[in-house]
Amino acid sequence: MTESEQLLDAFDARAERRNQRRDFFKTAMGAAAAGVTAFTLASKAGAQSTVTDTDVLNFALNLEYLEAQFYAFAANGTGLASSQLTGTGTQGAVTGGRKVTFTDPVVARYAQEIAADEAAHVAFLRTALGTAAVAQPAINISGDANGAFTAAARAAGVVSSTGTFDPYASDENFLLGAYIFEDVGVTAYKGASPLITNKTFLQAAAGILAVEAYHAAIVRGALYAKGVQTPALITAAGQISDARDSLDGTSDLDQGIAAQTINGQLVSNIVPLDTNGIAFSRTPGQVLNIVYLNRASVTLGGFFPAGVNGNVRASAAN
Amino acid sequence: MSEERFILDVIEEASAKRRSDRRRFMRMAAGAGAVGGLAMLGACNNDDDNVIIVPTPTPTAPATGSVTDADVLNFALQLEYLEAQFYSYAAFGTGINSALQGGVGTQGTVVSSTSGQPRQVAFQDPIVAQYAREIAYDEIAHVTFLRSALGSSAVAQPALNLSGDANGAFTAAARAAGVVSSTGTFDPYASDENFLLAAYIFEDVGVTAYMGGVALLTNKTFIEAAAGIHAAEAYHAGLVRSVLYRKGLSNASLITAAGQISDARDSLDGSTDLDQGIVATVNGTQTANIVPADSNAIAFVRTPQQVLNVVYLNKAAVTGGGFFPNGLNGNVRTSAASG
Repeated sequence: MTESEQLLDAFDARAERRNQRRDFFKTAMGAAAAGVTAFTLASKAGAQSTVTDTDVLNFALNLEYLEAQFYAFAANGTGLASSQLTGTGTQGAVTGGRKVTFTDPVVARYAQEIAADEAAHVAFLRTALGTAAVAQPAINISGDANGAFTAAARAAGVVSSTGTFDPYASDENFLLGAYIFEDVGVTAYKGASPLITNKTFLQAAAGILAVEAYHAAIVRGALYAKGVQTPALITAAGQISDARDSLDGTSDLDQGIAAQTINGQLVSNIVPLDTNGIAFSRTPGQVLNIVYLNRASVTLGGFFPAGVNGNVRASAAN
Repeated sequence: MSEERFILDVIEEASAKRRSDRRRFMRMAAGAGAVGGLAMLGACNNDDDNVIIVPTPTPTAPATGSVTDADVLNFALQLEYLEAQFYSYAAFGTGINSALQGGVGTQGTVVSSTSGQPRQVAFQDPIVAQYAREIAYDEIAHVTFLRSALGSSAVAQPALNLSGDANGAFTAAARAAGVVSSTGTFDPYASDENFLLAAYIFEDVGVTAYMGGVALLTNKTFIEAAAGIHAAEAYHAGLVRSVLYRKGLSNASLITAAGQISDARDSLDGSTDLDQGIVATVNGTQTANIVPADSNAIAFVRTPQQVLNVVYLNKAAVTGGGFFPNGLNGNVRTSAASG
């Protein structure tokens, strides 16, 4: 038996032992898991329970295309190289996107750093998937009245029902645009972690999850610090958080950045966690509710006007 | 070779292969390492910017023995004891509840002294004070959660050295890093800046530790929970690093110190570069490096043994020292022979 066959057998045997232990641990974890959004394949109605590792990585790749293009345009004024966009499914174009004229050089540097990271994530996932990688679907990151950012901002109340939101118009708008994506990325990778069977992929996904969390802290921290002078930023972040919560179902999976008072002292909320200090999870369906800007079960809309590519493409029915 | 040891060796080898910094790229041979779902990773291209994770047929990492889920969670719990106590003292002036400290093994106290004792920082920046409180509450929640998950298997808090005096672990770390002179003292409670640098010592190490732990766990619920704590530590690290960076623009010694601490950690945990300071040089210009990650923009991983090199402040294989003067409780307590 080759080492690779031994490895596959070992993983299969471990999976079987996991199944046998799952009920016990669910019970043991129950008392401790208050507030944790425990994910089990069997319990989610309509869950895509035959999701493969390839499906999970391709789902992540779709999201990375979206983030990478937004940051590439915002930081550098140009999108990803065309060689990074090909693959299976229907390849689409990017609508919108332009360079931000940053007034705060630190925010400019953050934008460049994050842009480099997201482009690296696209490249990594494409390489890991090889010929199975999906192409970049049609993406809308436009800042005009018909753009997805405007739709999101109107729904959240950040602008009026006839207002426009252009994430490229200012440092603050850029940070709010980034805010829309980063926490969702964290919850998406966390929600996907139990779906991945291959340990090496799991560790890679954990490594990308960590980077998205670093990004989210940069963005949330920057908004909070600027919010001292401009409280409207704190308000807007809270509105976006509430809007995401209204799209992805009844559980409260999202928190704004307003400070809380605990034992008479102000405490920041840069890190959105449950009562166990654990980050939230979203299922792929819930993530799609947000990026499609639709609480119903649909296969396109919002930032993905033709939907994502691959097998995981329907939002949840909320 | 037992099944568990086999998988751990492959994971260790795969982990070891991924580590690279932004300026060093490793080409991996696809070769015989292609495995089922990993076969797609064998499709190497010639782009040196892509580090491909491929397990090789000949594991070279030292055998770590069978590690159970409880071992992994207990290891994490003790790192959380360390962080929770530090932040609790720094933010509130008191340690964590004594009801959260008992368990299996030898229970210890937070080492105290007459000077430099763990105490509330007199924060000058109210935002930093808020961050300290937030992180403290999060770390206490992690201790509580892990103790609940482990139940009667939870280990007790071992002795912790969080002192800011000349005999404290922070001073030892700072001297080794060059942040203070060989006779200097580092008191993390003495100022906002010192507090942030001390937090910096811990947070990135926590991220790398949990990333290793996620791959060692077998139970799906534990994996997801560990991923969620991993994310929390990464948020913390991003917060601390970005605050240091912003303050560092008007106080360059903070940037320098962060880089020195990063280099010191790298000198303890073996020859691979797993650590980065908060600035980088891109196209000849110094810019922000808030996110320490490899060329794939994937966070670094440390084995439990490498984590112990850092917190024991010792590159040799030992069972105690530094922040844990009597070592950890539980089964995972020996650092790696890293140099």
